[in-house]
Amino acid sequence: MAMTEDGLSPADFAATAARAIAACAGFTARQQAERLGGDGLLGVTANEEVGGLGLSAAFAVPVAAAAGSGLLGFPLLETLLLGRLLQAPLPDVSRALVSGASCATIAWTNAVTAKAQGDLILLSGCIGRAPCAADADWLLVRVGDDATALVPATTSGVVLEGPTGLDLTMPEYTVRLDHVSIAERNLLPAGTWPLLQSDALVLRAAAIMGSAEACLVMAQEHASTRRQFGHALAYNQAIRHALARHKLGLESIRHAITRSLFGEAGALERNAAFLAAASHGVAISQGALQVHGGMGFTWDVPIHRHLRRILALQAQGDASGLLRALGQRYVTEIEPSSEAVA
Amino acid sequence: MTVMEAQPRADVAAASLTGEAYRLKVRDWLRNELPGSYRSDSPQFSPPTLEQSIAWEAAMHRAGLSGMTWPTSYGGHGRTLREHLIVNQEIGALAMPDSVNSIGKELAGPIILAIGTEEQKKRFLPAILQMRNIWCQGFSEPEAGSDLAGLRTRAVRHGDIWRINGQKIWTSGAARSQRCLLLARTGPVEDRHRGLALFAVPLDAPGVRVRTIKSIDGKESFCEVFFDDVEVAQLDALGAPDEGWAAAIRVLEIERATNRMYRAWRFENELRHLISACKTDTVLAGLLADSHYAVRLAETVVDIEVLKAHVETAVDVLVNGGSIGARGSLAKLHWSEAHQRFAMLAMELLSKAPLPLAPSVKVALRRFEGIYLASRAETIYAGTTEIQLGIIADRILALSKGR
Repeated sequence: MAMTEDGLSPADFAATAARAIAACAGFTARQQAERLGGDGLLGVTANEEVGGLGLSAAFAVPVAAAAGSGLLGFPLLETLLLGRLLQAPLPDVSRALVSGASCATIAWTNAVTAKAQGDLILLSGCIGRAPCAADADWLLVRVGDDATALVPATTSGVVLEGPTGLDLTMPEYTVRLDHVSIAERNLLPAGTWPLLQSDALVLRAAAIMGSAEACLVMAQEHASTRRQFGHALAYNQAIRHALARHKLGLESIRHAITRSLFGEAGALERNAAFLAAASHGVAISQGALQVHGGMGFTWDVPIHRHLRRILALQAQGDASGLLRALGQRYVTEIEPSSEAVA
Repeated sequence: MTVMEAQPRADVAAASLTGEAYRLKVRDWLRNELPGSYRSDSPQFSPPTLEQSIAWEAAMHRAGLSGMTWPTSYGGHGRTLREHLIVNQEIGALAMPDSVNSIGKELAGPIILAIGTEEQKKRFLPAILQMRNIWCQGFSEPEAGSDLAGLRTRAVRHGDIWRINGQKIWTSGAARSQRCLLLARTGPVEDRHRGLALFAVPLDAPGVRVRTIKSIDGKESFCEVFFDDVEVAQLDALGAPDEGWAAAIRVLEIERATNRMYRAWRFENELRHLISACKTDTVLAGLLADSHYAVRLAETVVDIEVLKAHVETAVDVLVNGGSIGARGSLAKLHWSEAHQRFAMLAMELLSKAPLPLAPSVKVALRRFEGIYLASRAETIYAGTTEIQLGIIADRILALSKGR
């Protein structure tokens, strides 16, 4: 299992990302883009022609995890995905995103319709769960079943509603497009949406892992220092066992992500990584809140921010729909028993 | 042709293949040589007798599929852990009976390799792989299950002879074994984990008495073993007194993570069997299409993929020279609980089969009733769930136990 490319290791990116994300605290979206782009974090997987590093997804994983852990208020996952998706069809946009000169996001739910009008395309419809859309210069939307379109956010007919959703640090917006006209080249072909979704699974899993790890660390710290009935909370076996289960959940996410990146991993492994993250991530953050008792229920303890973030990521990836589809697909692929075993 | 007469068609042992070519060679051999009646997903399933199991496992060894990583000088095949994983994946994909000598191959053997004398390695290891010696594990006692510090079975040295007195319980397969990997106290009880030593006790020695215990699944695998002034030669003591157990613990940590690695792939075989059997019945097929069951089956798929990820990570860590330590508890905990959830799902689905039962459903019911009952022990043996949670809390999270 090769973990290095050109002498680089994913672990190096984790440290760089953690530093850059910590430095982004209090920055505007534009300032965050410049800082993250300047550190090369927005183009980890985009190719070198657009200013990226051309590395594999394994190198984007620690960056996404650091964004989760540091509760970054910037659409990092979306920028990583778009920098790569747009590098061939729209290299100028990709270059601007990778450098941090422009900001973009993706509306993860629903689709719009497209109609040709001369050299232009008219888009109409309502799409949702677009993180940080209010700060974006570009918005990628799903068109029909599996195509996409890149919409300049300031185009006439683009109306933002919201923010909605639980995530306070990365608010999600609903977007209405009313006969919004875009250039034909901004309509990306069929197949771009599934590709984007597939790549997003692993990055979302990584972001959830980062948040879940932060929650577990806080819970451990609290259980070790908070005293009740003359003992640290960690003295209580129920607490010890709950935290042990959360550690198992966290390591399950980590190993499932690693497995999805190497060898002959495909859709099943990527689905499993995201679904493991969605289910264990929620359990870990909810469990950390429980360990904190009443304090966990307050605005002062940041666990609620992670819980909100994890729930948003879970919904953006439609974890429950994906789980049902995985089951149905798995069942379909298996033949009924025959009387004789081959 | 019986297995005893069977000659391996493809000599996997001698193959210098790697990666996928090696996998295909292993797959080809197993699928050609494993009698269909040994496969528990087959309508012709008939569990092999002890003699048949011994013959089959000996044939597997001759073909190069057991003792994978042991040195050739001790009867092993000198293969890599990655090749061992490949073989396990292929074994798991077939609904093959469990080994009757897994204690010998996966516990006693590795411990002897780690702490045995040269003479012991030469004497014991080839006999394990060739199935001339089946081993059982004498660790648990009526007053000491997971808490080995409470062990009372005592070994007292008299010159070159140790005299052993005590009782062991939950000694799986003792009635069919030739040797017992016995943990006995050589120091005072107050020493708890110190003063414990390991012995390779011949079960035909005077003073050894074995009584079988019928378990929940109707099998008589569990045993009690009584030791009444049993004399064991110093030649059969494994490691120095006070040191044997400490060395064994290190081996056990690796074993907890890597033994029966095929479980993840067997688990997958079980899930596929359940679905394929349900599909032969209209009512059950309808339930599979129901979104409730689609979700629960998908949760099982994710559990299996996560288990594979734990196993493969452990192999990566070991191949790269790392140590597993307490992390073996993570895979064990996940596997045992996920498998119990699945077994309950299988029972629930199959219980809805209309009468008369379709032939494939009957085959599946017989298999999954056994799996369900046996799965209740999976969160007990090899360290209970509570013990695993304690290990993770103490040694991985390092949570304070003090005030």
